Order: sequence, then structure tokens, then C-alpha cells
Amino acid sequence: MKIRTMKLLVKEGTNNVIKNKLMSFASIMTVVATLFFLGIILLIAINITSNIEAMKRDLEVTVFLNVNVTNYQRAEVLSYIESKKEAGIISEYRIETKEEMYQNIKESLNDDTLLEGFSVENTAESFYIKLVDPNSSDEIISQISRFEGVNNNNGIGYGKDELDKLEGILKIFNYIIMAILIVLMIISVFLISNTIRLTVFARRHQIEIMKYVGALDSFIRWPFIVEGLLIGFMGAVLSFFLTSQAYQWLQGVINVILTNLKLSTLRIMEFSPVAIRMFIIYSIFGMVIGGIGSLLSVRKHLNV
Amino acid sequence: MIRFVDATKVYSNGVVGLKNLTLRIEKGEFVFIIGPSGSGKSTFLKLIMHEEVPTEGEVYVNGYSVHDMPHSEIPYLRRSLGVVFQDFRLLPNKTAYENVAFAMQIVEATSREIRRQVPLALGLVGLSKKAKAYPDQLSGGEQQRVVLARALVNNPAVLIADEPTGNLDPKTSIEIMNLLEEINQRGTTVVVATHEKSIVDAMKKRVVTLEHGEIKSDVKKGSYFDEN
Ligand SMILES: Nc1ncnc2c1ncn2[C@@H]1O[C@H](COP(=O)(O)OP(=O)(O)OP(=O)(O)O)[C@@H](O)[C@H]1O
Ligand SMILES: [Mg+2]
Repeated sequence: MKIRTMKLLVKEGTNNVIKNKLMSFASIMTVVATLFFLGIILLIAINITSNIEAMKRDLEVTVFLNVNVTNYQRAEVLSYIESKKEAGIISEYRIETKEEMYQNIKESLNDDTLLEGFSVENTAESFYIKLVDPNSSDEIISQISRFEGVNNNNGIGYGKDELDKLEGILKIFNYIIMAILIVLMIISVFLISNTIRLTVFARRHQIEIMKYVGALDSFIRWPFIVEGLLIGFMGAVLSFFLTSQAYQWLQGVINVILTNLKLSTLRIMEFSPVAIRMFIIYSIFGMVIGGIGSLLSVRKHLNV
Repeated sequence: MIRFVDATKVYSNGVVGLKNLTLRIEKGEFVFIIGPSGSGKSTFLKLIMHEEVPTEGEVYVNGYSVHDMPHSEIPYLRRSLGVVFQDFRLLPNKTAYENVAFAMQIVEATSREIRRQVPLALGLVGLSKKAKAYPDQLSGGEQQRVVLARALVNNPAVLIADEPTGNLDPKTSIEIMNLLEEINQRGTTVVVATHEKSIVDAMKKRVVTLEHGEIKSDVKKGSYFDEN
């Protein structure tokens, strides 16, 4: 296609949007709403995933030794942990001594009478192990539990299963949201195609003349497609702006709440690192919605 | 140039528009298509420009097999034709000049070509002075001249007109017909469907008379009631 033709078609398409103000506005608004919803969901998903990842990284395998563990048994466990650390499977570990555990228990009970007959000797030493990859926990736990000195009655603690369950629930949640999103997109596509249909109707004489004079199908079609793409893109830009404002406001509010609830390990991320990616996603989605909407209408009502 | 071979058009509702029509129009001819209302004049022209396709038979126009033509070729057939209707079909929001230029933009002419050709076409139909006027500022005859300029600006080999004077008074009608004759003398084949008995009689051109979708008569230098 020649450059001057392209210019003409883009100009015609832009004129369509301007002339058809009210319907264009309505279509743009549905795109804004759809993309806003899409963006918020996306941002929530990104936040949840990154927080779960962070929580997984913070998870510790807790290994209690037996109360009457021998020095040899203790050294066995310790050297196993050291070797795994060297192998890059364990990132770090710390030891809680009997005294520390006794103090902890004492503090948490807050009532010395309950501690009667309970001494440092009754407590056990324990190891808190952080893993490089949370998914290696099952293997580590099963290997460590085979050592004589390890107390298997109290079990080896790790929170991964709970987090996995949480992730499972979130996945189902994701499907539901995806379904809502698809419905919203269909509504946007439908509204845009309806807007374009009105333009096609308003321009039917012109289209007829174009056909008689021998315009190529693409020539007749393009202004309407430009119109759809433009509506989609304008919706995307507007929606991106709204999303970024809403998100930044919410981010501040939620972070304050999290801090007040002493949940400061959970963080809502900044918007700026994902801004460009979000804008690209918005533009693509907006223009796909607009493009499909106009194509549908053009195919149905233009007969070209 | 234009050749119908045993062409039949039956509309989807069963009405017969044309029946076994065989006809040949040579390059440079001026042909009137006449006949009572419903006799198939418009159907004949619609088959030429592929607005309708024949149910049976063959239609050849400017080297295209119109009865059996890929969709993608239709624009090129239409570019070889200039089309004029009874209702003028101008774009109301464009000036006379812009309406004519639009026909050139559509076929992707350069702006240099447009600047050269549009004034020529407007000059040919005698409307140079009204180039900047909008359709609602023009008389019926003037509007039809703009349509003629638009039909001619891309230099079509064939001009087809369906009752081009149907909405005009007798004097203006004669002017338009004279213009068509002038266009024909410059080498364009002209096919006109009309009811205007007096004009057909006066112009002494080839006259094809249709009735119930069939050719009733085909007379060189004929008149409206030749058959009587
Ligand atoms: N799109 C259509 N669908 C069904 N029937 C049609 C259609 N167009 C025309 N006809 C019928 O075909 C026949 C021929 O119509 P056509 O328009 O060719 O006649 P015409 O000679 O141009 O008449 P007029 O002088 O009134 O313009 C008529 O009976 C008409 O009712
Ligand atoms: Mg007719």
C-alpha cells in the first residue's frame, strides 16, 4: 500500500472516531474498564506470587535433636547440614541452643509456676535450616529424619505444604478471574463492533460510491479498522493512567496497614518497575479488542 | 467490449429480471436501453457492473468474464466503468471538486494526477466555476454534471447511466444527454437506460428495447417507438 493511501486511510479512521463522539466515548470507556480490571488482577497476581516466593525463601526446616542426643550423633547431623550447605542446597542455618529454647519457652509461658520441674536439661537443641530452593525440602527432610540423633516424634517442621495449598487455591481463583475477564473482553469487543457498525451505517453512501468507483476491499475496510484500533489504544492509554494512579494510592494504603498489623514481611511492590510492561500489555490488549471489534463489524456489514 | 450470451437473471424471490439475453455492444458505441418499467433495464446495467451476477449465461465486459469472476477482480472491472445514477449520489460534505477528487483518491492516484485531472473533468462537464460548491448549493443538472465528471475522471472505457435524467427537467435533460454524446464522441462507449422518449427519438442512436426481460427490438439509429 502506498504511503499517501495509508495517510488517507488513517485520517479517515481518525475522523470516524471524532464524528462518532458519543459511541466512541462509550466504547473507549468499556475498554478502559476492561483493561483496568485486567491490570488490577495482573498486579494482584504479581504481588501474591512475589510474596509467596519471598515467604518460601524465608521458610525454615526446623530439626529438633533428641533430648539425650550423643555428641557423635549431633556431629553427624551437623556435618550433613554443612555438606549440603557446601553443595549449595542449604543457603544458611542457625542453631538454637538448649538455653535459648528454655528462655523462649519461659518467655512464651509467662508464668513460672508452669515451669516447675522443667529445666534446661529437658529441652532439646534445634537447627533452623533455610533452603536455596524450597522445592528441595521433601528430600532434605527425609534424609535428615534418618539420623539417630533427630527427634522424629515432634516432626520436622516446614511450612511449604501450607503455602502450596494456598497457591492451589489461588490458582482456582485465577481461573474464575480469567473467566470474568473473558466476559468483559467479549462485551468490549461487542460494543466496539457496534460503534463501528454505526459508522458503517453513517457512511453507507460513501462506501457504496467507493465500491462503484472501484476501491479495493482493503481500502474500504481500513478506515474502520483504524477506528477500532484507535478506540482500543485510547482506552488503553486512559486505563493505564487510571490503573497506575489507583495502584500507587492503594500501594501506600496497604503497606501502611501491613506495617500496622506487623506483617511487614509482606510488601506491595512499586508500580514503576512494571510500568513499561503494563503499558505494553494494555496497548496490545486494547488494540486487539478494538481490531477484533471492527473486523467483526466490517465483515458483517460491509460485504467486502 | 460488452457481450451478453444467453444471460438470464432470476432474483432470489423468483422474479425474472432478464431472460436469455444475447447482445453485443462494440467499442465507441452509444446505446439506449429502453422499455417499460420492470422490463429489466436496471438489471441489464447491474449485470455489467457486477452488482448482480447472471443466474445463467455469460457476460463479458472490457475483457472481464463478469459471470465468473473472482471477488478480488471486481474493483478493477469497476475502474474500467464510469457509473451514473438517477439519484446523484454525491457526498454532501464534500465540494464538487472534492467529490471528483475522491474517485481518484480511491484508485490511489497521486496528488499531482488529481490536481491535473479533476479540473479537466470539471471543465468537460462545464462546471469549472462551481468547483468549490457543495452539492446542496448546486441545481439538479449541476449535480448530475458533477456525477458525470466523477464517472469520467479515471478515464473509463465504458460509461453506464441508469436514467441519468430521471430527476431533471426537459431542458436540463437535453443538456445532459448532449454531454453524454460529447463524451461518446471522445471515444467512450456509452450505455444509457432511459424513459425519455423525446430525447431517444431526437438523438438517433442505437436503441435496444426490452420487455419482460427479453429483447423486443434492437435498432440502429432508432427511436422509442420504432417497432410501431
Ligand atoms: N433486487 C431485486 N430483487 C428482486 N426482484 C428484483 C430486484 N431488482 C429488480 N427486480 C425485479 O426484476 C424486474 C426487472 O427490474 P429492473 O429494475 O431491471 O426493471 P427496470 O426496467 O429498470 O424498471 P424501471 O424502469 O422501473 O427502473 C422487475 O420485475 C423487478 O421487480
Ligand atoms: Mg430501473
